[in-house]
Amino acid sequence: MSKRVLCKFFAHGACLKGEHCEYSHDWTAPQNNVHFCLCRLLQLTRINSLYSILTHLIFAQVCTFYQKGTCTYGNRCRYEHVKASRPWSGASSSSSSSSRTSSQPPISGCVPQVLTSRSGVHCSSTSVEVSSRSRPLGPRNQPAWNRGFEQPDYVDGTDVIESRTVRPADQSICSFAAAGDCPRGEACPHIHGDLCPTCGKHCLHPFRPEEREEHMKTCEKKQKQLEALKLSQEIECSVCLDRVLSKPTAAERKFGILSECDHAFCITCIRNWRSSSPTTGMDVNSSLRACPICRKLSYFVIPSVIWYTSKEEKQEIIDNYKAKLKSIDCKHFNFGDGNCPFGTSCFYKHAYRDGRLEEVVLRHLGAEDGETVIAKDIRLSDFLGDLRIS
Amino acid sequence: MIDFGRVQKELQECSKDSQASGIKVSPKADNLARLVGTIPGPIGTPYEGGTFQIDITLPDAYPFQPPKMQFATKVWHPNISSQSGAICLDILKDQWSPALTLKTALLSIQALLSAPEPDDPQDAVVAQQYLKDYQTFVGTARYWTETFAKTSALGVEEKVQRLVEMGFLESLVRSTLDAVGGDENLALEKLCSA
Repeated sequence: MSKRVLCKFFAHGACLKGEHCEYSHDWTAPQNNVHFCLCRLLQLTRINSLYSILTHLIFAQVCTFYQKGTCTYGNRCRYEHVKASRPWSGASSSSSSSSRTSSQPPISGCVPQVLTSRSGVHCSSTSVEVSSRSRPLGPRNQPAWNRGFEQPDYVDGTDVIESRTVRPADQSICSFAAAGDCPRGEACPHIHGDLCPTCGKHCLHPFRPEEREEHMKTCEKKQKQLEALKLSQEIECSVCLDRVLSKPTAAERKFGILSECDHAFCITCIRNWRSSSPTTGMDVNSSLRACPICRKLSYFVIPSVIWYTSKEEKQEIIDNYKAKLKSIDCKHFNFGDGNCPFGTSCFYKHAYRDGRLEEVVLRHLGAEDGETVIAKDIRLSDFLGDLRIS
Repeated sequence: MIDFGRVQKELQECSKDSQASGIKVSPKADNLARLVGTIPGPIGTPYEGGTFQIDITLPDAYPFQPPKMQFATKVWHPNISSQSGAICLDILKDQWSPALTLKTALLSIQALLSAPEPDDPQDAVVAQQYLKDYQTFVGTARYWTETFAKTSALGVEEKVQRLVEMGFLESLVRSTLDAVGGDENLALEKLCSA
């Protein structure tokens, strides 16, 4: 009898009797293992009453860790993995689960009552299944999984139990079907997503409206971008006669959008033209600032990796560009130390070192013809110019 | 640096529809910076039937600077120098745009031939004649076209046929033409003096 009890000296690694000890020196004996663990645990926790509770639970062969949620041994655990309360009887289990269903449906819905079909709980598992069948399901659930499964009466052990008890919205859709083709076809135990009209994949979850909407939105946006990119690929620069997006370096593969017209150039070509030294007789403002094709004056060029198809898209590109520039500190303004020649029309950020933005106070002057003009930097020459020396 | 990729493309584009437009551009040597353009005289003008050659030199900054163009064939036109062949055309100067190509520039020159601008002349003598004595201008322009813009365009066989029609022996015509390098007028002079 004593041979069955673990030697407490041996447990601490210091039994002097060795093989002649009347107590057990066998770690692997299950009762020793448990006993030793409990001893250690009680040593640590110093709760004596726990001993009886724990021993009761362990010798009843139910894994308490699993019941609490996580058992690190998983499938290899030697104790019974039974969820929730130990199935005392089929009837009580069904009644307790159904009563819980009414009070908190999401929890009971996503937690399957019995996940195992081990011999010890086999009979109760079937009884749960039967009871779940007979249990009147909510009107919300009933049509849901009927729609999800075209063959409700197929036989596939655990999957059936799981899918029956899990709410359809909590189930993930079949990844094979979402990627294009599910080899299991109709017999697949997972929900097959609805067809997305944009990307042509079965990736819309039938029971998650928010996810559907989000997917549709991103999908449409992606599609639009793709189409715009496709169109942009074809566009040639009128200066170098090359396709803008087929240029050798990434820096060149950009459009230079003119603010006033819709003619396409690559950013390097249009910038080269606008900054080229004017040949004799050429006026900078009327020739170089003009579109090479329609000669309409544009005061700035917007770089963009994509060409637009509508006015709104162009405006969006311009706005994004301006917003980006607005976040960069103007090197002319130089945190208030410098003087920006562009003044209030500068695209860059005019902020002082303390983060305060430059306040622009426009000076309105009454012109002679009654109109108001905004005064720029006033120079002495402005006054002298008007001076008439008699 | 000249964008030779673009020049190459322009040449291809030109040769594609040279049948329809009659405008040809070909490089003078291996260097693509020096080219020769050919335009037919516009129909309904004194230049009709002539083929005009234009020397083209591309500047380093092409296409951001206009190509230099000059008539190699002598032309009687208010906006083209009768001496040097220099062309007075705004798009070759301050109105140049990189969206223009050699072909469009040559087309503009062709248009200039049919619509002279005597108020903004290159050759003052021609412009004076155009304004004061239009009939003489047309006559001179036609004569210049016949004399300078046609010979090179005609095939040897046509020249031979024409001279034979004048009453010369075919073998003699051929040898004389060969001797003067294919110039019909020179051959005629030689034949007459012989």
